[in-house]
Amino acid sequence: MKRIQDVQSHEAEDLYYPTMCTVKNAKQITEMEKWYELEMPAGESLGHGPGQFVEVSAFGIGEAPISVSSSPSENGTFELCIRQVGTLTNVLKNYEQGDTIGIRGPFGKGYPMEKLFGKDILIVAGGIGLVPLRSLINYVLDNRTEFGRLIILYGAKTPAELLFKEELDEWEARDDVELHVTVDQGDENWTGNTGVITTLIPGLDLKLNTTVAAITGPPVMYKFVVMSLKSKQLPDDQIYLSLERRMKCGVGKCGHCQINGVYCCQEGPVFNYVDIKPLEEAL
Amino acid sequence: MKPQVAFFDFTSCEGCQLNKLNFENDLLDILKHVDLVEFREAMDDKADHYDIAFIEGSISSPSCVERIHDIRRRSTTLVALGACAVNGGVNAMKNLHPIDEVRETVYGDDKYLFATLPAMAVSSVVKVDYEVRGCPMTQQDFLRLLIALVLGKQPPKYGSPVCVECKLNENECLYNRGMVCLGPITRGGCEAACPSVGQFCTGCRGLLDNPNLDGMLEVMTSHGISLDEAKKRMLLYNSNEVQL
Amino acid sequence: MECFSLLRSDVPALIDHVGAYGEVVAPHGKGDVSYSFEVVRDSNDVVLDYNRTLLPLKKLFLPPVEKLMDFSLKNKSFDPVEVAIKPKVYFGVHSYEMQSILRLDHSMLSGSAESNYFKRRQESRFIGISFTPDEFHFSESVGILIEEMEGFDLFLNEVDGDFQVYVLTDHGQELLQGFTKMKATQPEIVEERKFKKKIRYHYNRLPRVFQYAYHSDVWADVAERCVGCGACTLTCPTCFCFDVQDEVTVAAEDGMRQRSWDSCMLTTFAEVAGGENFREKAINRTRHRLYRKFKYITDEEGLPWCVGCGRCTAFCPAGISLPDIVNDLIQEDEKAQYHRSVRV
Repeated sequence: MKRIQDVQSHEAEDLYYPTMCTVKNAKQITEMEKWYELEMPAGESLGHGPGQFVEVSAFGIGEAPISVSSSPSENGTFELCIRQVGTLTNVLKNYEQGDTIGIRGPFGKGYPMEKLFGKDILIVAGGIGLVPLRSLINYVLDNRTEFGRLIILYGAKTPAELLFKEELDEWEARDDVELHVTVDQGDENWTGNTGVITTLIPGLDLKLNTTVAAITGPPVMYKFVVMSLKSKQLPDDQIYLSLERRMKCGVGKCGHCQINGVYCCQEGPVFNYVDIKPLEEAL
Repeated sequence: MKPQVAFFDFTSCEGCQLNKLNFENDLLDILKHVDLVEFREAMDDKADHYDIAFIEGSISSPSCVERIHDIRRRSTTLVALGACAVNGGVNAMKNLHPIDEVRETVYGDDKYLFATLPAMAVSSVVKVDYEVRGCPMTQQDFLRLLIALVLGKQPPKYGSPVCVECKLNENECLYNRGMVCLGPITRGGCEAACPSVGQFCTGCRGLLDNPNLDGMLEVMTSHGISLDEAKKRMLLYNSNEVQL
Repeated sequence: MECFSLLRSDVPALIDHVGAYGEVVAPHGKGDVSYSFEVVRDSNDVVLDYNRTLLPLKKLFLPPVEKLMDFSLKNKSFDPVEVAIKPKVYFGVHSYEMQSILRLDHSMLSGSAESNYFKRRQESRFIGISFTPDEFHFSESVGILIEEMEGFDLFLNEVDGDFQVYVLTDHGQELLQGFTKMKATQPEIVEERKFKKKIRYHYNRLPRVFQYAYHSDVWADVAERCVGCGACTLTCPTCFCFDVQDEVTVAAEDGMRQRSWDSCMLTTFAEVAGGENFREKAINRTRHRLYRKFKYITDEEGLPWCVGCGRCTAFCPAGISLPDIVNDLIQEDEKAQYHRSVRV
């Protein structure tokens, strides 16, 4: 048990003050999502790993946990992509180039990259789940020779809701990326796959001993994707999931993000499936 | 341009509207944000369009229905103000009796001259965007909503019971003083105004989502009131919300 | 350990004396039948015999509502709030309360150590006092005796209406310096103060009970009675969950960010922006509260995160008793074990 006598005064931190970052670029990329490129005050880098998140703060409105969407190998700036679903995110859509946004973090545990080097990476992204996974994808692409295959499964509700369309085209064009996109409901111009994301899994030819899966999507998606991967015989410890919870403080205090006894903001948001399997509240 | 704001009253005591006239210190700040275009208690301008229409009172006659539809058509945002507008409030107690009996009691022999309907929440007739609860609504609650609309953020929803604010104030629980209080299932946001001065909560801000009504009746009856009395207390402000 | 005798009538003089070190906070009467920790204005108003305060002493280190910063909307900038370090004496504190502060230290200082809490805890001195357990106290069952002195600088043990003062630390010694109304004496053992309420198992057996209790029917029984007011967690001395909100002035130019105590027993606690609620049902919340007290942190730290103060039970409008829930789980566990053994 931590005792107060064991804490030096310099170790006690001001945990709740944001760093003011400048919006370098902003773009509405779908009806619901806006993308931002942010710059830290002295141009230093955020120092995040793929899968980590920050608390985004607008005075008068509040804070919300948002996944970092850019690869850590980009220096000086970092990117967020924010869906307008809550009060803060609705206000943030009015932020443009030159505005300042408060940031705390990065927080939590992202993907354990040291365990991913040399592996085939299977990305399973549902909807806005592509945002945090984009950080991992771009990191893999930036260090392409360090990894095996890169397989990306991406599902959205409709073609209009597909994120990062230019990047999807780039990935599609590359020989070293296997991209499979599906939508729940197509429109008249849609010629691709139709159906939920799990329909993309049975047809995959995976090397079971070297494949690592990274899953992010709406809460309802996880169980089904894990089931599909298990029916492909992918071992549990090669599955990583990024979970969404109400990570209000980001520093393991406020209690809102707890999954049974685990603080999602501390042990997650990226978990190995083996670690959350025993947690009844996880999936 | 500042948003054009109007206030309308339906079946109510107009106490919520009067409450706004008492803003005094804050009035000038409020008028920095909005233009007041219709407010019967203070002025009589008429406008074709309202950015925000504030509605007080319940909808309880055919002419009210017509008028609220007309206002809704002319308004971008519509806000229900006070218990009567939000869920029918005390007016809705009449809904517990057959409508003919109510008309007879109120109008006697002239009852056929006055068309009447059950007292309804504004939201059961037209779309309501936001609400300010309470009987009367508090100034602070109204201002929070107004500022939220000005800043473009979602106004607070108050998903926690009155008890939370009582505890944060370190009030002695009225149950420990031998009183029966509706605080546990009543939507907070009033800073526990009544319990803080020793008056039990009557539920004027409406009930929480999915309240444990059976549990609450058990709590009330185990603290010395009859089941009948407990139900009456629960219905006082919530006849339209509770089926007992 | 030094020990002195002190007449009950001289306690106000002791309070005045330790006031030379800093502001004294002590239990006072509140309302009809309640107590609260307040700053001492007149040492004669301090209550020496009390069952429990409405809010725990925690309120002075992790305030119910606390301003985190002032901000300007126009400039998109903020001003930090400086927490001053002030010497303070907490007088008349019960053993379970002191134990709750030690647990709170762990919660607020392990992992990321929070400066606001840390600063409020600096230069604080604690003077304990014995108490007579009422029908709600059960701290003995979680390993905390009336005379548990860990964390205190001085401790007042009531003996035949007067007090024995134990000097436990150098800080305690310093507080007493120059106080002449006491006489050196030998510590006596007081035996008649018995706990009326008990959990049937020793606390080190509880994590095992909880390991199998997750799908117990007990949770549904509790949820049926619980009205969801949050009183249990909001008055709990070891709970530390909070929410953060921004308040803006009417002119919409400035405002402040503040945090306030929150409770996992409230329906909205685990809701995310998209509307998904990860603990939607009352049974999930009831269970979570108890697991926070007897399993999750306990597995890591080896101690129950409940100190047996009885607040959650005494202040529950539905009369739900935490030790009764635990005893019900124990009973169910015994039945299950019996059935398992019969089957074998």
